[in-house]
Amino acid sequence: MKRYIILILMAVPGFLFAQEDNTRLWEKANAFYTTEEYQQAISLYEQILSSGEESAKLYFNLGNAYYKAGDINNAILNYERAKLLAPNDEDIDFNLRIANQFVVTSIDELPKPFVVRWKQSIVNLYPADTWSAISVSAFVLFLILLGLYIFGRSVSVRRLSFWAGILVIVFSGLAFSFASEQKSKIKNRDHAIVFCPRATVKSSPAQTGTDLFLIYEGLKVEITDSLNTWTEIKLADGNEGWLPDSCIVKI
Amino acid sequence: MIKKTATYFLFLFVIFAARAEGTRFLMSAPNAVEMGKQFRLSFTLNERGTNLKLPPGLTDNFDVLMGPSTGQSTSISTINGRTTTEVTYSYTYILRAKKEGTFEIRPASIEVGGKVFESNELKIQVVKAQSQPSQPQGGNAGNSGSSNQQSESVDLGKDNLFITVDMSKTNVYRGEQIIATVKLYVNPNIPISGFEEVNLPTYEGFYTQDIEIPQQINFTREVYDNKIYQVGVLKKTILFPQQNGKLTVEPFHMSLLVQQRVKQRSFFDDFFSGLRTVRATVTSSPVSVNVKDLPPAPASFMGGVGNFDISSTLSSNDVTTNDAVTLTVKISGSGNIRLIRNPELQLPSDFEVYDPQSTDNVKGSNSGVTGTKTIEYLFQPRFEGDYTIPSLKFAYFNPSTGSYITKSTEEYKLHVEKGSDEQSATVVSSLRKQDVQLIGQDIRFIKQGNPSLKSKGFTFFGTPGFYSMYAGSSILFLVLFLIYRKKAKENANIALMRNKKANRVAVKRLKAAAAYMKQNNNEAFHESILKAFWGYLSDKLGIPVADLNRDSAVAGLQNKNVDQNIIDDFVEVVDQCEFARYALVGGNEARSELYSKAESTMGRLEKQMKR
Repeated sequence: MKRYIILILMAVPGFLFAQEDNTRLWEKANAFYTTEEYQQAISLYEQILSSGEESAKLYFNLGNAYYKAGDINNAILNYERAKLLAPNDEDIDFNLRIANQFVVTSIDELPKPFVVRWKQSIVNLYPADTWSAISVSAFVLFLILLGLYIFGRSVSVRRLSFWAGILVIVFSGLAFSFASEQKSKIKNRDHAIVFCPRATVKSSPAQTGTDLFLIYEGLKVEITDSLNTWTEIKLADGNEGWLPDSCIVKI
Repeated sequence: MIKKTATYFLFLFVIFAARAEGTRFLMSAPNAVEMGKQFRLSFTLNERGTNLKLPPGLTDNFDVLMGPSTGQSTSISTINGRTTTEVTYSYTYILRAKKEGTFEIRPASIEVGGKVFESNELKIQVVKAQSQPSQPQGGNAGNSGSSNQQSESVDLGKDNLFITVDMSKTNVYRGEQIIATVKLYVNPNIPISGFEEVNLPTYEGFYTQDIEIPQQINFTREVYDNKIYQVGVLKKTILFPQQNGKLTVEPFHMSLLVQQRVKQRSFFDDFFSGLRTVRATVTSSPVSVNVKDLPPAPASFMGGVGNFDISSTLSSNDVTTNDAVTLTVKISGSGNIRLIRNPELQLPSDFEVYDPQSTDNVKGSNSGVTGTKTIEYLFQPRFEGDYTIPSLKFAYFNPSTGSYITKSTEEYKLHVEKGSDEQSATVVSSLRKQDVQLIGQDIRFIKQGNPSLKSKGFTFFGTPGFYSMYAGSSILFLVLFLIYRKKAKENANIALMRNKKANRVAVKRLKAAAAYMKQNNNEAFHESILKAFWGYLSDKLGIPVADLNRDSAVAGLQNKNVDQNIIDDFVEVVDQCEFARYALVGGNEARSELYSKAESTMGRLEKQMKR
């Protein structure tokens, strides 16, 4: 018992220090970035990441530092990671667009039905946690409206709260599904950035496979399957093929 | 007599004038000789001297065969009416070298008017005795007469006549200057009468700049491969390699006319055709230069390789709007000045900037290309304010240290004042609305403030806490619902009970009123009647006593469809009670009458309400 107490006493300040440490690292890294010492900034940002913590801001700044240091692949990778955590951040979109100008491979995306596009733009309005909060509060509002419906005295109040309640519970359910979609994006990480300067995509997971097409570094691809040290990728234009694992880094 | 004196004076003057030039004592000898061969060592002096002492140590390496043989020459020249006479005395020795090697001959000395003068020093290279060139016997005797005029092609042998391309360096950086010298080597025994065809080398892969050399080819003696040659410099060129790797100067050839002795056939030939002219063609061997690439260059590298300096001047620091301002940048030094690009000047973006003008002034010499490049940046400030003309950074590659050196110009402050009214008016009229000009594109700046870190991959969604929020709110709702329902039920029960008990309470109160009537207690009697009615109506109508007054009670009764006459009776009873409560009107009869009326009204009310 005593040992546990001592352990807890030791762990709590350690945790606090770690927090404080990261904030200090963060400020130091930002200062390095401002004075254009990008390599130092990168190493400090990476140090924060290696402590097991992350945030959209951190990935964004790290991406910026990589961009300024001339490492476009890593810049794109970190912008994409930032975008996962903060899907509707204008700054991230802007910088990602600029970094993508350096990507050699240009791909015409397959057009998606407008319903899908609308849904995606709505889903990407908020990250998972915001959608969760919206869903919970919508659910609470629904309960209040249900109460009004049951105990309401006048007929008009009851009718109004009935329809509003149905609307709100549907909305809560949608928000829940959006949240789960965002969560699955973070959890599955089924996209990757190509890091090989020039990669030949094969038709099968082996060196002997037929060469299908060439892609260049910095490209974002979707991961559809994997076998041993090979990964099946899918481009935005619908082309699929196999690449060695060493050529890509998951977002 | 006077004339004679004048002549003497004149003579003296001349001597003094000559004296004024100073005494010159020079020693000369060929700089390369063969061993065992005679050569001349001569001294010249512009005055008469005595006691000539040969350089000390001379006899260690050379035999003095003859000398000194003295000579005297006088030259009189008249320039612009001034006549000068120069007398030169010469002493010549004939020497022969004893050993091979390079020997330094120390100064000789001579006495002139009691003073001792020393000559210059010399260096003589002594080489092995070489065999006489085998004079090829050109042509045959039969047509020697006709071949006199027509030059014939002969081969004189590689050792006797050749051309070379001398590179000052063979291992250079790209852009580093090399001096290439085209030299003709001729055996001193072969007389050259002229050039017939000269194809000078083309330097492919190089940027070239010729060095001016005298038109007349001066032959000097030089030792090459331990042999003495007459060497003539045909051309000197400064080369700037423009490509990396091995650059080769292709062989080139030239034809020379050589006089050749023809073998005499008869006694008469000796008089008429002793010499004839033949053509000799020589070809150079290829020369290659190894060119190294420059190390990674800084951004401000403009292609300059060599050694440079940069300076700048601004035409004016204080101008009005629309005045033209010139920043003159001068790059001077030695190297590939012509190949330097204009450094880019970052001017404030609302300046009207013109293309920079550059002129260069370079000269090639034996030390390479030197000169200046002048670049003029012309611009017009359009708006008033204080601007900074940034310093211009100029990096060049110094091949001798193998590194880049960055020099920069001064930074200038430019104060621009608003021009005169008419000027600015014309400016305004020419101004148009402009879109925001995108000058450069860069990523947005990093985010500051709280990093809002959380552990990797963590989302609130899907955690037990998240689901418990749904469950918790549902349970809370259910609990509240049940409590509310129970309470409503209970409230309904209380109202029913009070409704049921209302009549009994009212009857009790009326009975109490009857008791007060007997006791003649006027106030308490009326009070009891009022209490009985209000209490009854409160319970029956479900209105709290505090909210009950005559109007709300009448409204409540009317709502319950009570007959109007009963309501009127009720109002009358209440009015009478309130009126009689404090005023002592009427006696026992009035009270008993009011009592009976109240009793009957209550009874009828009860009947109506029960319905």
